[in-house]
Amino acid sequence: MAQIDKLIVNAVGEARSSGASYADCRYVEIEDESLSFSNGSPESVQKSSDKGLGVRVLVDGAWGFFGTSVITTKEISRAVKKAIEIGKAAAGLNDKPVELADTESYKDNYVSNFIKDPFEVSLKEKLDYLSELDGAMAAHEELSSRDSHIDFRKTSSFFASSEGTQVQQKIIHSGVGIDLGMSSSRRERASRSYPKNGGQYECKGYELLSEYDFKSEIPRLFEEVKALLAAAACPSKITDIVFEGSVVSLLIHELIGHPLELDRVFGSERNFSGTSFATVDKLGSLRYGSSIINVVSDPTHAYGLASYGYDDEGVKARRADLIKDGILAGYLSSRETAALIGERSTGAMRADSWGNIPIVRITNVNLAPGDKSFNDIISSVDNGIYMSTISSWSPSDDRSSFEFGCEIAWEIKGGKPGQVFKNPTFSGKTLEFWNSVKAIGDESSWKIWGTPNCGKGQPGQNARTAQGASPILVSNVRVGG
Amino acid sequence: MIDQEILDIFKKALKNSSADQTELVCESEEFYLTRFAENLIHQNMGRSDSTIWCRAIFGKRIGVSRSNEPTAEGVVKLIKAAEEIAQNQKEDPDFQSLLSYPGRSKSSGFYSSIFEYSAGDRADVVSDIVRRAKSDSLSCAGTFQTSATSLAVVNSLGTENFARNTEYRFTLTASVKDGLSGWAQAAGRDVEKFDFKTVSQRALDKASLAGEPVALDPGAYTVILEPDAVANFLLFLAFLGFGGKLLHQNRSFMSGKIGEKIMGDNITITEDPFHPAIEYLPFDYEGVPRQKVTIIENGIARAGVYNSYYANLAGTQSTGHALQPDNSYGPYPKAMVIDPGENNVEDMISSTDYGIYITRFWYLNFLNPMRTMVTGYTRDGTFLIENGKITKPVVDMRIQQSMLEAFSEVETLSAEQRLIPQYGALMLVPFMKINNFNLTVA
Repeated sequence: MAQIDKLIVNAVGEARSSGASYADCRYVEIEDESLSFSNGSPESVQKSSDKGLGVRVLVDGAWGFFGTSVITTKEISRAVKKAIEIGKAAAGLNDKPVELADTESYKDNYVSNFIKDPFEVSLKEKLDYLSELDGAMAAHEELSSRDSHIDFRKTSSFFASSEGTQVQQKIIHSGVGIDLGMSSSRRERASRSYPKNGGQYECKGYELLSEYDFKSEIPRLFEEVKALLAAAACPSKITDIVFEGSVVSLLIHELIGHPLELDRVFGSERNFSGTSFATVDKLGSLRYGSSIINVVSDPTHAYGLASYGYDDEGVKARRADLIKDGILAGYLSSRETAALIGERSTGAMRADSWGNIPIVRITNVNLAPGDKSFNDIISSVDNGIYMSTISSWSPSDDRSSFEFGCEIAWEIKGGKPGQVFKNPTFSGKTLEFWNSVKAIGDESSWKIWGTPNCGKGQPGQNARTAQGASPILVSNVRVGG
Repeated sequence: MIDQEILDIFKKALKNSSADQTELVCESEEFYLTRFAENLIHQNMGRSDSTIWCRAIFGKRIGVSRSNEPTAEGVVKLIKAAEEIAQNQKEDPDFQSLLSYPGRSKSSGFYSSIFEYSAGDRADVVSDIVRRAKSDSLSCAGTFQTSATSLAVVNSLGTENFARNTEYRFTLTASVKDGLSGWAQAAGRDVEKFDFKTVSQRALDKASLAGEPVALDPGAYTVILEPDAVANFLLFLAFLGFGGKLLHQNRSFMSGKIGEKIMGDNITITEDPFHPAIEYLPFDYEGVPRQKVTIIENGIARAGVYNSYYANLAGTQSTGHALQPDNSYGPYPKAMVIDPGENNVEDMISSTDYGIYITRFWYLNFLNPMRTMVTGYTRDGTFLIENGKITKPVVDMRIQQSMLEAFSEVETLSAEQRLIPQYGALMLVPFMKINNFNLTVA
């Protein structure tokens, strides 16, 4: 890495001497390992590595960027020249030069939290683990589909900027999940996944796998799949709903995380991901949610998929309020967007690889736990519905409204869950929804849920984000069409 | 961008493989994109990359590795990684064999003009659009990308193929201050033929129709879908059912329905990589020549698309629709065409007493995949049609609609087709007038 570090620092110097008022360069190496079983067969076992560098420059007040996977002195010089040429082309149109919020310079080496490096665990051990999972599902012969997967990622990077920051980072992610399916006819199929749809991902090592007792959960999931095939459709009505924690996680992601990305607020995503109802004139005054809603951006959290030491423009990770006592208190920002509101960057600028320019991304966006146990929440509901495990999501482009679907729901009567409903969906207006939150689960039910596939940007970038959440009770939610 | 020299690197590297069968794939790209918003260029980038894959097979044990080091040394390392995986892998009883396609496919769709098209040229296009937008007090956001791609496949059974193509893609959202907007996009292989003035004017004109939007009640409406909206549905239908994996697993809405009528008589959907407007790469990631496949013919489900693995399971031949070796989606169509009708959009509007004109959908997601029931929003140009005329903008609405039912209610299709890019697919589709289309409040 030392040799590459030198090339990166030299590239920054070359960019400055070629006319860039600011320059940074990121070298990124990503190792991935994905293993999956489907219906008793190993569907895939894959290893991949991807490495390269991206040069970002501010020239004549406009951004230019070029990335390359060929790491030679000659190619890096070409990348610098290309980035300058691209930046200069943009400058002709832009009458207002980009300004960056101040940040300190750092020289640091960050390593994420993990106990057991998954890349040092043998393939055999991993395949045996999946084979065992599959075997536990296969004990239920009525299942028509059994899927399981484990995934590991190691990201090693070096960032240098013309302001003197030089940061090396090594971050490890692990993921695991299963899905059980059964069909009663060609048109009727039910499935349940665990720990959540698509699996659970955290900033941890191989130890993540031992945190889930799949063998105990599979019989329950099997019974739920059977119940779903016999279940009535979820009735359409307006009612109180208790949402399981992983559902809340995606609600936070889509209805708090995305609307509070400051580049989006300023219109950068107008052509693709959309805009935001949470405009800057509302900062400090918008009642986003009920007074028990407190949300922070926290890339310093130990175990989120967006846990890091520094973002991709060298800003040190920090905790920042987004919603305080229900009031809009801040945004996810970059140096450029933070400067537009006279603030410091919250350190949310990230790229999904060396080959893409960083953009503002959801970090670990965490809803603070409340003071009610899960059982207390359920028992407080006389007449309502409990929904678990997101299966579908569709927010409006300004995030002011939404419709989501879940894998399963239970009717709640007299404080107890009863009859199972299939195909539950719910919809509403974002602000009305968060303002109708009546209870939040306590620390014992709080978890940081990983989202490994958040799409944004053009060209599309696939970020890894996390949302800390516990179950919530929301009143008067529209269920069904 | 990697050229044909990669074939020699691959063939030499194959000699280092101890696997029973070995496959090497390289996809290389030189990519540029200018992104603008609020009438300014805010992201302007380029990228050069080459991804290589190795699939190593011992008996029925398969290992796949991927990297982006297409050097002689890097390829040997890649093969060793795949072999190690395969040797530790469990047997896949359904795997039969790689395929042998030694002949080189005839390639089209490559236009060298793309290499002379600079960041300055892209900025000039954006400047022209912004100038026109500002004169109408509009704000523009969009992208203009140019790219060149090559694909090489070599395997130990003699398959050896190489092709390259070029592509431009353009998107534009023009909006007025209160948020109403218009959208247009275009794509093609030869950037010199890109008529950006005509395409961008569509979005500008649509935004200029802004007025006080009317909120409509939930209900079943007659709608006219622009090709973008039609392509949104088509891509989702493909995702939910046109691939051989879903068909085999009975997870496709077409499973058990081949030969049955599932859409209206006037709907014919073809996967046509050789259509002159599409000119897709002529072979897939297994080196198998792509075939034209009639998926839906006059409303009747005819066939899905296949790679070698699922073709074997289905007792048929690969149609040349394998994705990258490390994908888990199975085979997938990327060059779909919906046959045109004889109408034109003006006639569709003038023949509508009361209906809604929809430019595109946003954030489609399925509510019930087997019933092709989706939800999502209308976006960037939704208008009320009254007495044969577009009269006012409509507050965007949520759709809750079965796509198969919508394609069974198509009253007319336009003769005009537009090429719509979405993700890795290029789709050539007409306007559609559809009855009883379910819309609700957002």
